[in-house]
Amino acid sequence: MNKKIKSGKDVIDEFFSEILNIEDVDQKTVEKLVELYKENNLTDRKIQNALEELKQAELNSKARNDGKD
Amino acid sequence: MAKIKSINISGIRGVKDLLTLDINKKSILIYGDNGTGKSSLTDAFEWLFYDRIGHLSNEEIGRKGRDALRNIFVPGNEDGYIEIKFDNNKLDIKKSIDSSISASTSNISDEFNDFIAASQSENLILRYRDLVQFIIASKTEKLTKLQNIIGFSEVADVRSLLKKNAGRIARNIKSSNYDNQKNVKQSIILENLGRNAHSDEQLFEGANELIKPLKLGIEIKSREDIKKVLKKIETKEDNALLEQINFFTRMWEVLSEVVGNVDNIHESYKSYHTIGKELKKDPEKIKKLQLLALLKEGQSVLKNDVVQDNYCPLCQQEKSKVQLIQELNKRIEELEQLAEEKNKLDEQAEELEQLIQPNINMIDSLLREKLFKKDKYEKLKSQIAEVKKSLNSFLYELKKGLSVAFAEPGKIKIDKNEFYIIVKQSQDTAKILTENQSSNIKFQIYTKLSQAVTAYEEYQRIEKEQGILSRQQVTFEGLYADFIKRQEEALNVFLTMFSQDIDDYYTTMNPNERVEDIKLVPIKKDGDLVGITIECSFFDEAKTFPIAYLSESHLNCLGLSFFLASVKAFNKENEFFILDDIISSYDRSHRARFAKLLTEKFSDYQVILLTHEQEFFELVSSDVKNKGWSIKNFKWTKNSGAGVEKGTVKIKERILKKFKEKNIDGLGNDIRVYTEKVMKEVAFNIEAPVAFRYNALNEKRMAPELLNAVQSRISKKGNGLKEKANITRVKGMPMFIGNTTSHDNEFNESIEDLEVMWENIENMIRTFYCNSCRKFMSVKYFDNVESKIRCGCGNLTYDWEK
Repeated sequence: MNKKIKSGKDVIDEFFSEILNIEDVDQKTVEKLVELYKENNLTDRKIQNALEELKQAELNSKARNDGKD
Repeated sequence: MAKIKSINISGIRGVKDLLTLDINKKSILIYGDNGTGKSSLTDAFEWLFYDRIGHLSNEEIGRKGRDALRNIFVPGNEDGYIEIKFDNNKLDIKKSIDSSISASTSNISDEFNDFIAASQSENLILRYRDLVQFIIASKTEKLTKLQNIIGFSEVADVRSLLKKNAGRIARNIKSSNYDNQKNVKQSIILENLGRNAHSDEQLFEGANELIKPLKLGIEIKSREDIKKVLKKIETKEDNALLEQINFFTRMWEVLSEVVGNVDNIHESYKSYHTIGKELKKDPEKIKKLQLLALLKEGQSVLKNDVVQDNYCPLCQQEKSKVQLIQELNKRIEELEQLAEEKNKLDEQAEELEQLIQPNINMIDSLLREKLFKKDKYEKLKSQIAEVKKSLNSFLYELKKGLSVAFAEPGKIKIDKNEFYIIVKQSQDTAKILTENQSSNIKFQIYTKLSQAVTAYEEYQRIEKEQGILSRQQVTFEGLYADFIKRQEEALNVFLTMFSQDIDDYYTTMNPNERVEDIKLVPIKKDGDLVGITIECSFFDEAKTFPIAYLSESHLNCLGLSFFLASVKAFNKENEFFILDDIISSYDRSHRARFAKLLTEKFSDYQVILLTHEQEFFELVSSDVKNKGWSIKNFKWTKNSGAGVEKGTVKIKERILKKFKEKNIDGLGNDIRVYTEKVMKEVAFNIEAPVAFRYNALNEKRMAPELLNAVQSRISKKGNGLKEKANITRVKGMPMFIGNTTSHDNEFNESIEDLEVMWENIENMIRTFYCNSCRKFMSVKYFDNVESKIRCGCGNLTYDWEK
């Protein structure tokens, strides 16, 4: 019985190890989530901050690119 | 996996002097009356493994129950301690508590620390009070408890995080109304450039067309080119005019954006109103919502055993604690459903506020424009302030309590037509101001180009932000969908296999009953896992576990089955578990099967089985002893506290002592057990035939069967013996008609009743037992000549047919 049952940790570990194979996901967002999980920092506040940082980084990087035209 | 070789306890709870149990990896059955220290053993284990004693952890006894852990009679210079030696000596541990309630442990190795850390999620102790907690818990509590046990609470946390973020991003996208923002920017571009610009190419085309009249000889091919052109045609003398144009353009822009959000605001308020109206249909229910916290507190008081006996702590009326918890769970579940509806209203309110507040902020910022300080714009300012007022009226509705009526959606709204008038005025004014300078074509083109470029850059930023958030939303929705699939698959595998074990254990204890195929089934609502229920086949019909129809004994069997299935599924470090007084409400048949379940299906485990039930102890001790278990009796003395009793329990002495002390607690049961023991001897000596049974089962003869057998034998063989023994009178006693330990025996004996019964039983026994030679009347002393049966010395002699 025990062999077939997955613990909660097994489920989460498997999810994060296969997360990049999930269709239509944004790679940078997913990489950030994996990083937070590995650092044991997967909290709502940390995710919100990370998403905002990613957004700002992308907006700024595009703005810089636009300026180069 | 760890098994225990020996346990030493001293100065903990009821144990004052050293209590030693050398069990050498064997299971053990421990009997002790209430107050003899059985629970001290369990408490000490709980403290050692979990560093707390759950049932002592309340406001009065602080520090996770540690304040009540140390025996109060232990001298101040001595420590209280529990010392366990395991089969793996690297795990041997002595945990002590000194007079200042500071704890220390002898083993600080990594191996031991890892062992204790891993043991935290294992099921090592089951007390009677915890037996049915899972069974009678609400569906949500069942899910939470189960997820905690199987380590799925973290899974639930991750799932909740993914869902929360997907929802939050979706709400942000909705409240930002990006399409509306982009439309406003395109309107400005169209107004100034004479065409829309969704790409750089379109912008450059429009810009080149715009600057043509200036004949600059420059072709705009980049944003940098636009900057160069703007610098080239910039004029300093019309700053005041430019300020005015920008002022009206900004007003046009802000108000256009606000007006574009009006429909969303109206729609959201309509939803808020509908949910609120539904909730207000039953104002009494809403009032009851205030009781939720009180009921939950009551539930916690009962579960934590603050009240020990079967009565309601509020009204002080007698009531079964299990029933009370069940009723509380039901009421809490009903109110939680209502609270869920209320949460929906709160969420809708949050969404509406999120939609309105940014618009108010934009208007506030607009009203701070320098030009609004001028008197000529006073009217315009007050018109815009009116818009803000109508937005605020929605927020005012949100602050109303549920006892006050909400304004109907038709009665509270923003008049878009009036709004459009101001928007149009602003747009026209900006245009007039720009185009009135027809003599200064350079200024016009400069203004239009700079307005168009600014709007285009903002348009692009909005579109990019929308794209990023939409990608994040798709990502989180995809992750959530994938994650719930994994969680449900894993949970279903677990529930299926776990249910099989529960069903196996339950049906072992309850064979040939119509409750079969017990399983734990997940409950979903709107695609979300919200609870777990217990289902079974009841009289061949699949239904939710019929708790209401089952006795406490059956519920306890189910609770025990759940615990034992958990032991098998999750205990990876420890191969022992403690069952503390869990058979109190089991009837006789369940007790026997329970012992069988432990010895047959848990023979690999080391079971520490504690009981204060003398009858149960008598019933199973020979069985479990045959299977290699140790048997011990606990006693309590004033000087030493709890300890192990030497020698066997002398039932008759205990009965006489109880009569002397007028103590009826368990006395009826003691008399029955004593009668059973004596009647076995009588039946043996007069060769009273009983039904054939195999091996140990042969010993399990209940008093009524033995009394019948003896009565039948002496009716056939003895002349006058039947009348003298008067077994019929004994058989009519309540303890032999039913089962005194059964929950449905309603006999409430008094000491006088029991005295009369005891006298009758002693009379009956004196018929068969000689106090002079201390021997039973027996067929081995049969006198063939005179056809008489007698005792060893001949004092007791009766006629006996050959």
